[in-house]
Amino acid sequence: MNIVYVLVPLSLVLLAIAIAAFFWAVRNDQFEDLDTPALDILDDDEDRTVDERRSARSGESGP
Amino acid sequence: MSRTLAESSGTGAAEADLEACFHCGEPVPHGSALTAEIGGRPRPMCCAGCRAVATMIGASGLDSYYRFRDALPSRPDVPDAAGRFEAWDRDAVLDWHGRDAGDGRLDVTLVLENVHCAACAWLVRRFLTDHAGVADARLDIADGRLRLVFEPHRAPLSRLAAGLAGLGYPPHLDAPGADAERDRNERRRMLRYLAVAGLGMMQVMTYAIANYLGAWQGMDAATEQFFKVVSMLVAVPVALYAGQPFYRSALEALARRRAGMDLPIAAALLIALSASVLITLFGHGEVYFDSVVMFLFFLLLGRFAVLTARQRAGALGTALARALPAQARRRTAEGAESVGIVELRPGDRVLVSAGDIVPADGTVRDGRARLDEALMTGEAAPRPRAVGDAVLAGSVVASGQLEIEIAATGRETALAGIVDLLDPARRRRPGITRLADRMAGVFIGVVLVATAVAAAAWWSVDPGRVVPVMLAMLVAACPCALALGTPTALASAARGLARAGLLTVEPDALEVLPRVTRVVFDKTGTLTRREFTVDEVIASAGRASGEILAIAAALERHSTHPLAAAFRIHDTGLEASGVEVHELGVAGTVDGRNWCIGRADWVGQRLGIEAGGAGAASRIVLADRGGELHAIGVSAGMRRGADALVARLREAGIGVTLASGDHEGPVAEMAGRLGIDDVHARMRPADKLALVESLRARGEIVAVVGDGVNDAPVLAGADVSVAMADGAPLAGTQADLVCVGTSLDAVIEAFAHAPRVRSVIRQNLGWALAYNVSVLPLAALGWVPPWAAAIGMSASSLAVVLNARRLAGAERR
Repeated sequence: MNIVYVLVPLSLVLLAIAIAAFFWAVRNDQFEDLDTPALDILDDDEDRTVDERRSARSGESGP
Repeated sequence: MSRTLAESSGTGAAEADLEACFHCGEPVPHGSALTAEIGGRPRPMCCAGCRAVATMIGASGLDSYYRFRDALPSRPDVPDAAGRFEAWDRDAVLDWHGRDAGDGRLDVTLVLENVHCAACAWLVRRFLTDHAGVADARLDIADGRLRLVFEPHRAPLSRLAAGLAGLGYPPHLDAPGADAERDRNERRRMLRYLAVAGLGMMQVMTYAIANYLGAWQGMDAATEQFFKVVSMLVAVPVALYAGQPFYRSALEALARRRAGMDLPIAAALLIALSASVLITLFGHGEVYFDSVVMFLFFLLLGRFAVLTARQRAGALGTALARALPAQARRRTAEGAESVGIVELRPGDRVLVSAGDIVPADGTVRDGRARLDEALMTGEAAPRPRAVGDAVLAGSVVASGQLEIEIAATGRETALAGIVDLLDPARRRRPGITRLADRMAGVFIGVVLVATAVAAAAWWSVDPGRVVPVMLAMLVAACPCALALGTPTALASAARGLARAGLLTVEPDALEVLPRVTRVVFDKTGTLTRREFTVDEVIASAGRASGEILAIAAALERHSTHPLAAAFRIHDTGLEASGVEVHELGVAGTVDGRNWCIGRADWVGQRLGIEAGGAGAASRIVLADRGGELHAIGVSAGMRRGADALVARLREAGIGVTLASGDHEGPVAEMAGRLGIDDVHARMRPADKLALVESLRARGEIVAVVGDGVNDAPVLAGADVSVAMADGAPLAGTQADLVCVGTSLDAVIEAFAHAPRVRSVIRQNLGWALAYNVSVLPLAALGWVPPWAAAIGMSASSLAVVLNARRLAGAERR
């Protein structure tokens, strides 16, 4: 059972790390927008600007 | 505001044969051939506004929006954004509204209309961040606030704003102030409490389970003590940190010598915590660190939900900003310039023309116009205003032009005066004691008395067991299920109502709803529709009515008369040439024929024909020199569901009152059509408030349904209030429930389901109370081992949550 005396303090350290990480996330606005990031990943041409997309579209022929 | 897809697909079988607009989901009028290309295919569009927005979305390469969205937008107005925001680039405006974000960047908060779902937020953010010079754009879909960090010289604010308006999200500058910042800090603080309590709960629970299993299988005393100490090391800081909201509000209640709801909570937390600490350090027996932290976590969860709902209702300053225009035209020596509203000073002269919103209170110095003050006074018909007349900020110019000398701006206006009525009205609102509070009060009293009796009894039997037994009783009585019973039921009911088209801002309202004895309705915009629509077409000479409406729309497109808006959805893109707009009608050439549309006598006079005919006097007449003569009936009809709602209320024995700012005539007519006997006309905002207060003094529980700025104070002062989402934003901030969509059906739904909500709450509280009370004597006798208490507590909480879920499921349509 002696391993408990190692594992439990270890879990306390992990708890402290988890709380610190969460505080960091809150401070850096990670919880301000919970809705749009889920959609970003579905978007294919994320890095293109409006103008690039417009020119890409005008170059398309048909659907 | 949003209607869910589920709802729109369920509405009216009568509309099933019509094609739905790809953008807004409304039925496409017969004969309309508008399309927009989305995803490489032409899609049906119901009106020019939808087509403009859809085309812009498609052309920006953001058509993924249509795949992502899960709520339909409202039908947009035809965007005519050019020049509407040019004053937003002025230094005075940017200085007032913006904050320096370093590197030549500016941080500005805008409030967007029509924000519904994640797809809206995605669309707005992608659109903005695709512009060079925009560093960051975050849209909160809860309240429509957009935080924009940008470089003004690379990406002018006016251009970004015009683009947003083109996408169908007209922006407003948020009133500067700490509101947004304070809200955000509050939200962040709550999130931190919640996270600490949640993580701490899980951690303490693992140690507790080790101890429970240890008690079952045998564990040596040293290890058990070790787990207790570790639990204490986690639970004490967690409970002290995350419980702060409760300790603080309990202290405030004490300072004001009033027993608040948080006082027993704070006391229970601290008593259980300190007793467990004492046992851990000096005694032996059970500790309840896990229960303390878990209780705290569930309480915080409820608080967080309430906080976000309250912030969602929006700040007053924001609502005021939305009632006023983006900019004003100020008269200068050379002509006129566009300036920000914040630059206006008393004595300045501003110019307004048809479609504009009056930016400040003042006096007319030149011109004539008809002003629509419906949102301000409740008067339905636009009123003529000429030189010397006073005008109010927030009125809409229906037709004509005015030069106004400003008398008061900002906080000094009549509009702001109405806002000042809100606070006292809110404060005088009766404290309807909630069922849960009453039961919790009784319950806590019973627990405390029983604990004292048991402690006294054990003192004479075995003093060593006094503290463990007291604790066992307090924890067995842990009102988890009691605390969860009401909020879970209300949350489920709110989800169900949201599907029907009613957003819940103040969940407690659902509890009060079934006890309502009288409903006070506003007329204009609430029982009546806000906009005019075509209800009949009397055709002559064999033309199809769709064709007639298309011709009418082509002509009326050029008119700013309020009635002209009725034809907008019949616009098929047909063009008119040589258009002349007069005060009483429009003349122009469509398809080679010279048409006139307008009031019958004007059309008759102009064409030299007899345009009178049967009933034509009350209709709009469309005629040409070739002998065609059609009459079109246009009215601001009753809102869909208004008659059914009034009938249902009367059936249920609930009194119905009509209180309107409009004149006796139209008010009496509406009351007659709906069969309402208790009628009050010409009510100012303060009169309405006084009326509701006198009703309440007679012992009635009053619900108010309204939409305008003038309704805001009475909404704030009612027991339950419902605002129409298409009304003034200010009314929305004061309402407990917001009715989205164009019908009142959702309000019928709310009244129909309110008794069920109440009965589920009663069941939940009854069950929780029965469980806790029956465990109490066992705990008093020292017969409840900790593992049994834990299982019992979880099971009773689970039962309560599952029971509440029935409310959300049953209301699916």
